Amino acid sequence: MPKITIDGREIEVSAGSMLLPAALEAGIHIPHYCWHPKLSIDGSCRMCQVEVEGSPKLVIACNTPVREGMVVRTNTPRVENARRGVMELLLVNHPIDCPICDKAGECLLQDYSYAFGSRQTRTREVRRKLEKRKEIGPRMILDQERCILCRRCVRFCREIAGTSELGVFGMGDRSVLDVLPDRPLANDYSMNTADICPVGALETKDFHHRLRVWFLKKTPSVCPSCSHGCNITIQHYRNHIWRIMPRRNDAVNDTWMCDHGRLNYAFAHDTNRLRLPLVRRDGELRPCHWDEAVQTVARLLRDTVRAHGPASVGLIASAHLTNEECFRLAQLADCLGLQHVDTVVPLGKADGFLIEAEKAANGQGARDMGLQPRSGGWSWRNMLAAAERGELRLLYICGSDLVQVAEEGSWQTAMERVEHVIVQDLFLAPLAQRAEVVLPSLSWAEKTGTFTNSKRRIQRIHRALQPAEGQPGDGELFTRILALLSEGPWSFDPAAVLEEIAQRHPAYAGVTFAGVGPLGQQLAEGGLD
Amino acid sequence: MATRTVPVSRPAPLRGPSVMRAGVALLKGLAITNRHFWRNLWGFIRRKPTVFTVQYPEERLEHPPAFRGMPVLVQMDNGKERCVACGLCEWACPTDCITIFPAETEDEIERYPRVFDIDMSRCMFCGLCEEACPEEAIVMSHRVEIAAFSRRGTLWHKEDLLVPVSELEKTRLRHVRRTYGG
Repeated sequence: MPKITIDGREIEVSAGSMLLPAALEAGIHIPHYCWHPKLSIDGSCRMCQVEVEGSPKLVIACNTPVREGMVVRTNTPRVENARRGVMELLLVNHPIDCPICDKAGECLLQDYSYAFGSRQTRTREVRRKLEKRKEIGPRMILDQERCILCRRCVRFCREIAGTSELGVFGMGDRSVLDVLPDRPLANDYSMNTADICPVGALETKDFHHRLRVWFLKKTPSVCPSCSHGCNITIQHYRNHIWRIMPRRNDAVNDTWMCDHGRLNYAFAHDTNRLRLPLVRRDGELRPCHWDEAVQTVARLLRDTVRAHGPASVGLIASAHLTNEECFRLAQLADCLGLQHVDTVVPLGKADGFLIEAEKAANGQGARDMGLQPRSGGWSWRNMLAAAERGELRLLYICGSDLVQVAEEGSWQTAMERVEHVIVQDLFLAPLAQRAEVVLPSLSWAEKTGTFTNSKRRIQRIHRALQPAEGQPGDGELFTRILALLSEGPWSFDPAAVLEEIAQRHPAYAGVTFAGVGPLGQQLAEGGLD
Repeated sequence: MATRTVPVSRPAPLRGPSVMRAGVALLKGLAITNRHFWRNLWGFIRRKPTVFTVQYPEERLEHPPAFRGMPVLVQMDNGKERCVACGLCEWACPTDCITIFPAETEDEIERYPRVFDIDMSRCMFCGLCEEACPEEAIVMSHRVEIAAFSRRGTLWHKEDLLVPVSELEKTRLRHVRRTYGG
């Protein structure tokens, strides 16, 4: 491990690493634009110049390997002068339209201009006129005037997405970032280019002119759109999600996420969401009190099991439930002695990178918690078939993924033939309309708990949006139903439930909220029931 | 319920010379009021008022340039607002009385406020929005009439807030430039 000295501080760095990442790791900030931890080194911005003892010229920290006994200075007048010069040149053709730029507030050019730039412009020349608001893809807009040609996006498309749509055309001061006319920036990861763009040149259409970034509150979470479990930050304001951004986790998603996951959030703050439970009376679904709905569900479950046995009840769980909720739901199934228990997981295409085939976050967790067919139990497909034959008396369905996955018409006939249907979902359409009792559920953005991804990594989600006043979460509902069906002090506190899980399931032994932490915890292989 | 009596010392009631003094002061005051009444009436009849009374709302005083009335949006000669919905005033506002929703236009300046509302019942006329504005688009005008018959009436929308630049140029804009530069 070589030792180097930066600004009089001696730090130990790993051999072969470059100066910039070593300094950043030690908490010494060297300003930079083109360097990115997950991309190759470009060395084009010249912002990270530092003074190295024994070297006649300034060197760029991003492309200088560390050497034993190296003495580096990052704040000498020479370095500061060089930075000021770089900033001045970068700003020569920048439009400085910060008031209308969506990047304002999180823009590196802005930040470094305040920190290292000079206050005045010395140029009187006319600034370059290039294409603004250019649609370069279905989800992206390019403003060429704002671009500082750091080529992070170019490298991203070449190295990470592997599609190479973006390129820098022209030479010298005529260089322009652009796409080829017949190859739009349309890959599944295109919106990451907006994240890594240090200025406002690349913007997502989704967030274009929506909200100033300084209003956003940030809540760490996990993407609910597939079982890869990309770490994300939910950025919200006034109980409304404005955008989703990836959060760095080198064990899961580095600093990236797919466009589909990024755009799949509007359902959480949709005003058509179910906020009150409904019970069917005189053929019509009417809002009722929470207690009444829970009591009706408990009564229907108990009466059906007593009259026709546990084999007459089917339970179809959702892969969008957290581990804690799944655990309580499994306890509910155990308490009634149900055997027909299954989880519906919608399937789609996988790409071997960040997009998995299971299009819900917690299929793995639901299976781990025991929400799968017990001995002699049916899968959800068989449950629907049995319902069509009239062999099921009661069907309890969580979530509406069934509609996407089941064959057209099969779930409708099944629901018509079953005596009692209980649905727990976010929206009334399409499933809940046909139910006898409807319990509103909460979206992932309103819940606290854990998800287990396809590689058995358990990760935390946090509440970003506030649910309606007095609206209980899914786990709370399961617990209240349980409390009516069996003795015992039942309560639902996600942290406490996770401890119960840790005791009950060997694979989750020793798992706690604190232990899972912000970056998750890998569960041991095997040891599962 | 148990009661508790607390002895309180009260000043003695006015008697003798102090009553006389109070009566004299009262008469003096009445004499002044009387004198002004007759003088004003005489001035009113001769149409040469001798007192400083402004016949509001027919007459209005000119406010000094530094006066901060209600915040308004500057309307350019083409009828559009100068505001680009950057949101800095919304951020600067200590009472959170400004609400802006930006949108895109085909104009040269691609961004404009689709919604720009100011809740005048919350505004405290501090002028921080004006100071924060990079476009000289929101200024503290010399307008002061913000009374309304309902709470809803105190919510001013963009159309109500637009004031032609010609009116503001002479009064406030010059002062803004002198104070904040630019």
